[in-house]
This record gives sequence, structure tokens and C-alpha cells, in this order.
Amino acid sequence: MAENTPALQARDRLTFLLSLVPFLIDRGQVSVSEAAEHFGISEEQVRQAVRLIAVSGIPGVTATYQPDDLFDIAWEEFEENDEIVLTNLIAIDETPRFSSREAAALIAGLQYLSALPERQDRDLISGLLVKLARATSGLPSQVAVADTETNATLAAFKEAVASGVQVEFDYLNAKGELERRRVDPLRVESVDNDWYLRGWCHLREALRTFRLDRISKIEITKEPLAHHPTELPLPDSLFEGSPDDLDVEVELLANAVPLVEDYLAVVKPMGTDGSRVRAQIRVSHFHGLKRLVNSRSEVMRVIGPEDAVTAVGDWARQALERYHSGQ
Amino acid sequence: MDAGGAGERIPVEERLFSLVLALLATRNGLTKTEILSTVQGYRQKYAASSDNSALERQFQRDKDDLRELGVPLETFEPLGDEGNNQNTLYRILRTEYELPADITFSKEEASLLNLASLVWREGSLSGESRRALMKLRSTGLESSQPLLDYTPRANIRDKAFGSLSVALEKRQQVEFEYLKPGETNSTSRKAFPLALVQFQGRWHLYAVEVASGERRTFLLRRIVSEVRASSADSPEIEDDSAARALAELKEVWSSHKATIRVEPGTDAEVRLLQQEGSNRLSDGRISLHYVDLHILADELAGFGPEVLVESPDELRFEVLRRLETIAANHPVESGVSNG
Repeated sequence: MAENTPALQARDRLTFLLSLVPFLIDRGQVSVSEAAEHFGISEEQVRQAVRLIAVSGIPGVTATYQPDDLFDIAWEEFEENDEIVLTNLIAIDETPRFSSREAAALIAGLQYLSALPERQDRDLISGLLVKLARATSGLPSQVAVADTETNATLAAFKEAVASGVQVEFDYLNAKGELERRRVDPLRVESVDNDWYLRGWCHLREALRTFRLDRISKIEITKEPLAHHPTELPLPDSLFEGSPDDLDVEVELLANAVPLVEDYLAVVKPMGTDGSRVRAQIRVSHFHGLKRLVNSRSEVMRVIGPEDAVTAVGDWARQALERYHSGQ
Repeated sequence: MDAGGAGERIPVEERLFSLVLALLATRNGLTKTEILSTVQGYRQKYAASSDNSALERQFQRDKDDLRELGVPLETFEPLGDEGNNQNTLYRILRTEYELPADITFSKEEASLLNLASLVWREGSLSGESRRALMKLRSTGLESSQPLLDYTPRANIRDKAFGSLSVALEKRQQVEFEYLKPGETNSTSRKAFPLALVQFQGRWHLYAVEVASGERRTFLLRRIVSEVRASSADSPEIEDDSAARALAELKEVWSSHKATIRVEPGTDAEVRLLQQEGSNRLSDGRISLHYVDLHILADELAGFGPEVLVESPDELRFEVLRRLETIAANHPVESGVSNG
């Protein structure tokens, strides 16, 4: 959490001020580094917030913000020891309630978890839903995620990470080749209804992304993990490039760009109305490309190289032949 | 202490923070003039004897922002002086603002909430999740990193999600261009959002369409324009819309059934069999459920010759149509003999 401290927007900074005060009241005294760690933001962001709180308050009876109308902190402790102690309190005692959308985000998150091995027991989640509704100012927004079956494959990965060992499984790649892989699980991601495991593949000695629905015969080994989820940074792109990747030029509808974002290398608008774009995508082989393009027939087509065009077209022609012969 | 002269720029969060403090501290409420002339961030721009309309608009936006952030800013008319909006009073009631004191989270609940807030790290719910997590931390909830990292990616990148969730909360009417399944031209739709639900990994808008007055379900990724919201109030308020939307989708999913022939040992066989609700019939064919025929047709076209759709006819037709488009768009290499 703390390694990733994004720039905060004004509404984040306000929420942080309103959240920090009750935390400081509760703790009595806390160091800047401890508060930063607790909230998962940078130490400088904490110092800025404390400086602002220290000079904030209410207009007061004179309507001129007299010292008694302002928060105060133990300045020496703060300036010299990086420690925070509030010495005068104004207006705020407790944590604010959740907004409708904040509650909805948590509720949708809890529902999403129901597909994961974290689901634990239902009672815990339903109890939390009741609490969240009460902890919201107004009603939580109507945002929900459908219940899905718990995924047994995910449970095996979690168990492997918990016991610090590698997993082995059969993997059927897009070319139709079946291989036994040994992997350190690092992260599980989903795109729509497709789930992916990202991990360190001991066979390829590299980061690899595996489709969960192509994995079978999982076995939890006794070999310790070579890489732990917290140690190995993962690139944002779901698919790792390799020097053997093929560059393919495609044309697609501009509003379909998000559908292939994970594959895109370069995008340049074309035409006068901007409704279509030419893009370069990277694929590891034509087997992947023909599946990608064939499942997006209405929004994209391959421009070149020629053997890519042929591979994609042939995949469709072979299928059409099946329909025409009725086999 | 004078916290700033007229030329000094007060950061947004300082103005909003000062407004929250002032409105929490007042028992009897403050008038707009009192707020603009005395609260930090406004008072620096307040002119006692001239036009303050820009500042009043600023205050209007700030009120909206605070409410959106869950701060229950209320307005009321002083007793005996109703109808005179010069005297409208503003305050924040502590009991409505504060998290109820009896709400605490056990260790197990805390770790679930942590994980739930991490689920939407990317996309439109990320800001909401981030702020919810700050409030949870405020109560002393410790951070805990899940053992294995789970991240949904594209499923909430649907551009429309952010604007729709705001409109949903503000009960606004929305207008957008919608690309109906199987069509290439979009049509303009007006609707009152009732719920946003994720079913089979895809986000749907459940809404009352203005033209027909009927409830409709729209797939977010088929919304191809910006979502424009207008402030017409929605005709009805229901607190079980999300559950109803999911129940309706589940019903559609259960009643739509396809039968597919697959080549043994292929990618198509492995993946289709893993789908929720799919099963292998005694003669080896696969039967599966779906919500949107066109999405399934796209997926099946991607499997090329590995699958052959048997039923329903409409699905078979759509897959064939796609395959023909692809074949026509990707002709065999010129100069190379076909035979």
C-alpha cells in the first residue's frame, strides 16, 4: 500500500483531513511516519495536512478566527521530532460517515469477493452489508455484483502463496499445446468474465500470464516460492512482450480501442471523422491474433503483414467450411 | 490571527474543511451571508457592499461537493420566517455526520473491508474506494495486504460508469448513444438510472426508459457516447433495484440456452466447459447459458473451426455472418495460388 502513493485530488485531501483528526484524537500522540504508513500516503502529505489542521478552525464569536477558535498542535514535538499531538480541538470528534458511492464501492467490492476464496462465511459479509448501510449518510447507491461460483483454482493459488510454495498445472496454450508448468503465483486479475493468473513461470524463467480456464490438474508442490507477490513488481500491461513478438497493423473503430487496449502498442487516428483508427498491436503468434480478431469481427480488421491477414481469414474460412459441410 | 489577506490563494480543501468545521460547530445554523463573510476561503473574496454572485456560485458548488462526499449539509428555514430564502440556514448535524459510535469492525471484517476497497483500485470506483478506505483507517482499522493480489481490470473501465453512478445518486435523467446488439448505428436513449449491476463480469445499467416508461437493461460497453445528465428528478425511488436487476438478468441467462459442437482437446472445449452453467451432453456436445446473443456470437466466432453452433438458429446465423465478414475482410494473399 505505502509503496504506491498516488497524487491526491482536492476531495481526497479533504477526506484525509476529516479522517486524520479523529485518528489523531484517538491515538493521542503519533509519529508522522506511523500516520503515513497507517493511511498509505507519503509522509510529506501527512505533514502538509497537519500544518493545515493546525491553523484551521471556526470563525468564533468574533468571526475573526481567534487562537481559541483554532486547532493547535504541540509545535516543538512536530518540528523537531516529527511527532503529532493535537493540543486544541475544534468541532470534529468522530470519523465521518461514508457517502452513498463510497458505501456502494465497498459493497460492490464485498460482492466481487464472493467469487474468491476470501468469501469466508456468508454471515460475515451479510453482517457487514448491514453495518455499511447504517454507516452511510443517506442510502448506499444501488450498485451490485452478481454472486458467482467460488473458483477452486483460485483457492489453490491462495493456499500455495499462504504456505509459500510453488504450484504445478497443465496449461493448454492458444496454439493448442499442452505443457506442465511450474509457477509462483503473484496476482489474479479479471477482465470481464475472464480470469488470469500472473506469475513467475519456472519453465520459461519469466513473468507469464495464464488464463484460468486453460489451467487444469493443479498440484501444490513442496518447493518454496522463488518470488513472493510483494517482491516482484508487475508491469501494468497484462501481456508481457518478448523479442519474438510480431507487430501487426490493424484498423478498428475508435470506440473499440478499449476492447484491445491490453494488446496495443501504437495508435494513430485516421480518416477525417476520427471514427476509425489504425493501430499497431503486438502478438506472440498468429494463433492468438486470429482468435483476437475473429472475436471482434465487427470492430477490427488486420491490414498487414499479408501472412497475418491470411492467417486470420483462413481461421474464418476453415470454420465456414465446417458449417457448409455440416461436419 | 488573520489567516490570509485578500491576495492569498486558499486551497480548495482548506475552504471546504473550514466550511465543514463552521457548520458542525453551529447549533442554530448560519445564513449564507454569514458563511460568505466569515468562513476562511470565502471571506477573503467577500465584498460587503457589492455583487457576490461568483462567490455564491462557488458556495453552491461546494455544497454539492460536500454532499457528494457524504457530508450531510442541511438547509432549513428559521421558525416563523418560512419562505424567505434570504434567511435560509445551513448546518451539519453531528448525529448525521458521524459514524454511529456502536459501529466497530472485527479483525475478520476489517480484512474483508480492506480487500473490498482494493478491488476497485483502477477505474471509476477507485476514488470512492480510496476515500472509503481513508475513513476506515480513521477508525483505527489496520491495513493488511491480502496474501494474493486480486484486481479486476477492464470490467470497470467502461467509460460511462463514472457519470452513471453520479446520475444514479443524484437521481438525474441521463441521455446517451446506445449501440444495440447486432446493429452498426447507435440510437439516442433517455433514461432514469435505477441501478448499476455487474453480471457475468459485465456492468449493466438498469433504468426506466423515458420514451416507453419501461424498465430496460443496458450493457455499459455498448454506450458509445458521453453520458449527459440533466437534473429532472427521477419519477420513483426504489431501494431494491439492484437486486431486481440481477434477478432479471439471471432469469434471462437461465432461459437462453445454446448447444455447441466442439473439437475434443481444443482451447474452445476447455474454456467453454469452464463457463458457469455449461455442461457436456451425453453425445459430447456442450450446452451453455448466455445473456447477450451477440457477445456469445463474438466469442464463438473467435474459436473459428473449433466450434460448430447447432442451436439456436439465430446464434448460428450471427456466428456465420461474423465468419463471412472476417473472410471477406481478410482475403487470401494475392499472387499465391489457391489450389
